[in-house]
Amino acid sequence: MAAPTPHLDPTRDVLVRVEEVEQFYHGRIRILGPLCLEIRENEFLSIVGPSGSGKSTLLRMIAGVLVPTRGTIWLGPKRLHGVNRGAAMVFQSFALFPWLTVLDNVGIGLEAQGQGPRERAAKAEKYIELVGLRGYERAYPKELSRGMKQLVGVARALAVEPELLCMDEPFSALDVLTARTLRELVLELWANPEVMTKSILLVTHSVEEAVTLSDRVVVLKANPGRVADTLDLHHLARPRRADAPAVRETVDRIYGLLA
Amino acid sequence: MAARRFTLAVPVDLALAAGVVVVAVVAALASSVLQPFDAPEVDPRPILLPLYLFRSLARLLVAYTLAALLALATGHLAARSRLARRMILPTLDVLQSVPILGFFPAAVAVFIGIFGKSALGVEAAAVFLIFTSMFWNLAFGVYESLITIPEDVRMAADQFGLRGPLRWSRLLLPAAIPTFLYNSILSWSNGWYFLIASEIIAVGKAHYTLPGLGSYLGEAITMGRTDQMVLALLTLIATTVAMHLLVWSPLETWAERFHIDESGARPRTPRIMRWLRRSRIARWVLNKVIVPASQHLLIAVARVMDRAGRLGAPGFVAFAMVVLTAVGYGAYREYLLLVSRPLSEEARQIPASLALSFFRVGVGVIVAALLSVPLAYLTFRRARVRLATLSLLEILGSVPAVAFFPLIAVLMLRLGFDMDTGAILLVLTGTFFYVMFNVLSGATAVPKEMNEAAASLGLTGVRYLRRVFVPAILPSLVTGCVTAWGGGWNAIIFAEYVVAAGKTYSVQGIGATLDHATYVTGDMQVVTLSLLTMVVLVVLVNRIFWDPLYQHVASRYKLET
Repeated sequence: MAAPTPHLDPTRDVLVRVEEVEQFYHGRIRILGPLCLEIRENEFLSIVGPSGSGKSTLLRMIAGVLVPTRGTIWLGPKRLHGVNRGAAMVFQSFALFPWLTVLDNVGIGLEAQGQGPRERAAKAEKYIELVGLRGYERAYPKELSRGMKQLVGVARALAVEPELLCMDEPFSALDVLTARTLRELVLELWANPEVMTKSILLVTHSVEEAVTLSDRVVVLKANPGRVADTLDLHHLARPRRADAPAVRETVDRIYGLLA
Repeated sequence: MAARRFTLAVPVDLALAAGVVVVAVVAALASSVLQPFDAPEVDPRPILLPLYLFRSLARLLVAYTLAALLALATGHLAARSRLARRMILPTLDVLQSVPILGFFPAAVAVFIGIFGKSALGVEAAAVFLIFTSMFWNLAFGVYESLITIPEDVRMAADQFGLRGPLRWSRLLLPAAIPTFLYNSILSWSNGWYFLIASEIIAVGKAHYTLPGLGSYLGEAITMGRTDQMVLALLTLIATTVAMHLLVWSPLETWAERFHIDESGARPRTPRIMRWLRRSRIARWVLNKVIVPASQHLLIAVARVMDRAGRLGAPGFVAFAMVVLTAVGYGAYREYLLLVSRPLSEEARQIPASLALSFFRVGVGVIVAALLSVPLAYLTFRRARVRLATLSLLEILGSVPAVAFFPLIAVLMLRLGFDMDTGAILLVLTGTFFYVMFNVLSGATAVPKEMNEAAASLGLTGVRYLRRVFVPAILPSLVTGCVTAWGGGWNAIIFAEYVVAAGKTYSVQGIGATLDHATYVTGDMQVVTLSLLTMVVLVVLVNRIFWDPLYQHVASRYKLET
């Protein structure tokens, strides 16, 4: 597996900056924040935390499908208004359109951008091939296994060539073996020069998953969701094995933070 | 293999071609003796039947198109805007639970007030009446399917930038399609039911007859022409069955892919469709005409809906104002004159009549429920039987029972039933299918795992019924009963007052009162008062009985999906 080159320069460009965001439920109950974080260029950032820590909420704010009650999200020098066009989401529940074929599902973002049928079919086919689903272009999501559905979900997100890939518990609905294969595939795709995505934001409740994949891990605590700590894992060599002592030690440290 | 296909294809193609020629010839013949548009009487010559059928189908199609488009717009608006939802949902709820048939005379008076006593006015009134029988369930269905789009799928649509017409064609319409289709079938069978009543229109003492299958049948019944009656009924049955096989079944198969949840039985392609697919002409028509045409249609609908959606709540309010103004104007010109005067003797009888009708509809619903549960249990255990029963019921249910009322009534009276029992039996034809359909679909939706668990635990026979089957279908049973309660009130309008072969058979009841006032005395005061009291009663019973009952049953027995 081709490992992405570690990036050690902390001053490099910030892709997304989350500034003092807060989220209230019914306008009164604080469920998140105030909270700050940064997603840098060419990094794999994970957010881990127990349920109720607002990690999915945070991801949805960054993707621009949820507006924070207070605070600002910056894309470089610009404030985020509405949907973040530089980001694409991958969902735990896949959220594929059951009435569209694999090809049309993967091409849906391109269709929304107004690309013609031939152009988007060519691009969709490229990403279908990259995730290894060649031959399934005409299939409907219903006819696929869960793992294959999530591959479609990943291809759909990559096809719009986003700077940032936002993945919300993407492996949680899969069996252990399939999840492992998909994790490796995501790292491979990220390293692949044909894939335009610069950074990946992963939300997960699996500490092991976060540690084996990420450059940095943001640990959230619940009620209301706030940052407990941010860990820089650039020093951990890739590819990482879950049973490597350094990995185990980091995992234990995060469990300590969450306890 | 190829040779065999060829030999099979040729006769089918020939049969199809012959069918087209026959239809063309008959249509040409029929139009050569076409009556003037506002003909007061129906020409009874059977050669005109195809023409009448086309006229009726055209009315249904116009009404359905209007209902479908408005339902999409209304349902979408209700799903999107809270203000609109607060206005739309209660209105829909009241209007759909009200016996619309009773509104015919009043609505016709209003329409004739708007358009004058021209052919257009009467035609518009008929289309409107059919529209009212088709619209409510469609609108509710759209609303429900739009609000049940999974959060993640909606978010994915936002995130990948689906806006404008694309949002309609890729997200909203597909998500609405399965429910929309289901409701369309229901709407069409309601439409047929109402068509029979809407082509012979009476306001006060004036009668208008629109050429159509309904008026042909009505005329044949009144004149006691059994041969014409049988002919018209056969045409009606043939048409509804043909629509079922050639339109609804293929559409159901097609709509399967739009289901968001992945459970549920797949409908099977009907045999006639598999047979048709062997024909090259049929395949060509399907691939080169029907498929592209429906894609264009879908996109056109998406564009129209997007435009309508942009008007939003202010547009909706403006539209409502225009409609209300028109209705007010029509009412002022024609209707108010007929209502405002002191209470007549007949009007004083309304409470007693209402009580009698209440009893009949109640019995109709209870008997329908008592029949449906065991029938559903017996049929649902074997897949084959279930499929056959479902198809049979769907066909039976789509044939408007009201057309058979005179036949049934006369037959029952011959068999020695009195009209009191007869009226209840007629109401039963209006309630049974609603309950039966709902119970059957509830039974089909019981998860396989639950039945497997029951089997492995040794729950059989009565224990299975009591512990698994009945609780599992209870929400559907209640839904069926609520719908049947509405259907029963529609049926009562025809059930208590049957005209056959020049004779009138009637029993005291609100339906009879309404019919008598509409068709005989033309007393709009009685019509209006019967209608109002009936509406209040129906809505009241919904509020204090059915709604709480459904809430209770749904919260306890609804299966998690």
